[in-house]
Amino acid sequence: MSAIHLQNLVKKFGDFTALKTMDLAIADGEFMALLGPSGCGKSTTMNMIAGMEEPTSGKILFGERDMAGVPMGRRGVGFVFQNYAIFTHMSVRQNLAYGPKMRGAPKAEIDRRVSAIAEMLQLTPLLDRKADRLSVNILQRAAIGRSAIMEPAIFLLDEPLSNVDAAFRAVMRTELKQLQRQFRQTMVYVTHDQLEAMTMADRIAVMDHGVLQQVGTPLEVYNNPANVFVARFIGAPGMNLLRGRPAESDRGLVIDLGPLGVTPPLPAEIAAAVRRAQGDVLYGFRPEQAALVKHGQGLSLPVTFVERIGARTIVHLGQGESAVKAVFDNDVGLAIGQTAVVAPAAQSVRVFEATTGIAMKAG
Amino acid sequence: MSAVTATIPEDVMKTVQAKPTLRDEGVKLGFRLTLPAQILVLFIAMFPLLMQLYISLTDWSPLSGLGWWSAWSLWNNFANYTDLAADARFWSALKRTAIVMIVCVPAEFLLGLALATLFADEFPGKRIFYSILLMPMMVVPAVAGYMFFMLFQSGGPVNDILSAISGFPVTIAWLSDPTLALIAVMVADIWQWTPLMFLILLAGLVGVPEDQIKAATLLGANPWQRFVTIVLPKMKTIIIIALAIRVIENFKIFDTLYIMTGGGPGVATETISVYIYKLTTQDLIWGYVAAIALAILIVLSIAAVFAMKHMARAREVPA
Repeated sequence: MSAIHLQNLVKKFGDFTALKTMDLAIADGEFMALLGPSGCGKSTTMNMIAGMEEPTSGKILFGERDMAGVPMGRRGVGFVFQNYAIFTHMSVRQNLAYGPKMRGAPKAEIDRRVSAIAEMLQLTPLLDRKADRLSVNILQRAAIGRSAIMEPAIFLLDEPLSNVDAAFRAVMRTELKQLQRQFRQTMVYVTHDQLEAMTMADRIAVMDHGVLQQVGTPLEVYNNPANVFVARFIGAPGMNLLRGRPAESDRGLVIDLGPLGVTPPLPAEIAAAVRRAQGDVLYGFRPEQAALVKHGQGLSLPVTFVERIGARTIVHLGQGESAVKAVFDNDVGLAIGQTAVVAPAAQSVRVFEATTGIAMKAG
Repeated sequence: MSAVTATIPEDVMKTVQAKPTLRDEGVKLGFRLTLPAQILVLFIAMFPLLMQLYISLTDWSPLSGLGWWSAWSLWNNFANYTDLAADARFWSALKRTAIVMIVCVPAEFLLGLALATLFADEFPGKRIFYSILLMPMMVVPAVAGYMFFMLFQSGGPVNDILSAISGFPVTIAWLSDPTLALIAVMVADIWQWTPLMFLILLAGLVGVPEDQIKAATLLGANPWQRFVTIVLPKMKTIIIIALAIRVIENFKIFDTLYIMTGGGPGVATETISVYIYKLTTQDLIWGYVAAIALAILIVLSIAAVFAMKHMARAREVPA
């Protein structure tokens, strides 16, 4: 069991900065997801934790222990690769036994540990199968077992579900989460899939362009994105953001969205924060939290596209700067060319500074 | 599955089976279309072999004044083969060939593997060294023979270097001493063919999945353990191919050796190929030559089949 502290971690590859001054504390036994688009530095961070890459500067601590100069074989880290990196020329048993065997554990002990881990992961009937013709979920379990048998304090998983088809991913997500509960290790999970991060992680670290954007529980990053990037990245579709200027009205502070008209009045605590700041703002709300209302009570926009995805319908409204998406029930009676009037639920409105993209928060 | 087939009436099943499918038709047509080419290939492959077999059962020689097709008038049953079994010079040539192979092929393999391991990583000047390393392979074997002939002269560079190292003049007559001549010949072969081994093994080495090596490292395997448990097993197929190529080629060692020593001094470096060459050009007993060649072909074929079987088994377990 071990907590991980990243302190002022920087990684440069030549002139390219893959990671800009990252500070992150991962608690003992926590499931932390590093989430971000390709090239955001999440894999680089993971590789540095594993010891595959040396940080350019900064520190990595496991508990109190500085990991600088500790080779990857001695960090006590379990690593599950994107494609599992199972030794295909060996049987499942040989794969599981590999770690203890390389460390010279006595044969009786290896056998005992292999059967224990195989039992736990339901691999017992497959132990003597060659590892090159196994289905993905068995490969995944074997890869986890091969690392888990070393009883690592820290488990690192590098996009383990990205090679799996969508239907199966749901099964494996549940399986992985259950495994983590069983092992109770600190887990760091790299992914670009927000659904994986949201469903499995205790906390999510959202990254972009080598910068840590926000750390928080799945609901925190969804409900209260720290900035415009997180607001757009989390959620499918992401948060609607409309540029406008704060204006006082008789009903309270509203945002003047120019040609779109004015928004419904802002909730009091956000209005207070907006009043303290100056300049243009971005008015944000979740597509799921927009409701169809009568004329005059919301934003009036033309319907440009209707995406029916079964359970729900995503309606695209407006164009360019004023494009908005709204998610309704599947039987919503809107068609291209019609005009829809939508109003966001008051408590779901978030406002960001237009220049910096940072969320304006109460208090 | 069985539940589904059970519902199909038997007579329906029969008609389905009896009717030639489109696929069968395609196979038949394909066979007919490729038949001429197949006959040609078969002829090219089989004709020399059958001719050789035919001549090997006669006393035919180009001096006999007969065309090879009339060699039956000189039929001697299996006399060539019984002669071969009792031919001490043949057996000693075979033994020598085996010695050269047993020394050269493992030496080339180990050197090639060591170099390949070195070149799998990046280091400054890698490209230049790589090109230099491959050069021996490009040298025409006859030229290589001449080069080593010059190097191993008693007043040649090899002795000069040995003199410089030891501090007193060395004048070893390399190519006139039965043992040293064989060593010199083997040195030339190793020099020329290690690069090929290196090239093949390097291709195999870079094909070893990097994440599996990383996984092994994370599980605590040291470099030697990684090499033995991951790298070598993954390279098994390519190692067998490389060894098979070199064993077969080395068995036929001729040009370099012939130019360096001509098989001499005496018969001290006479390998199978050199012996056959001498029989063909000097003794002109072609019936006997055919018998030797056929015997060797059989031995090499067995070796090749063995190697290929091993490869087929290895392919069942893809990397």
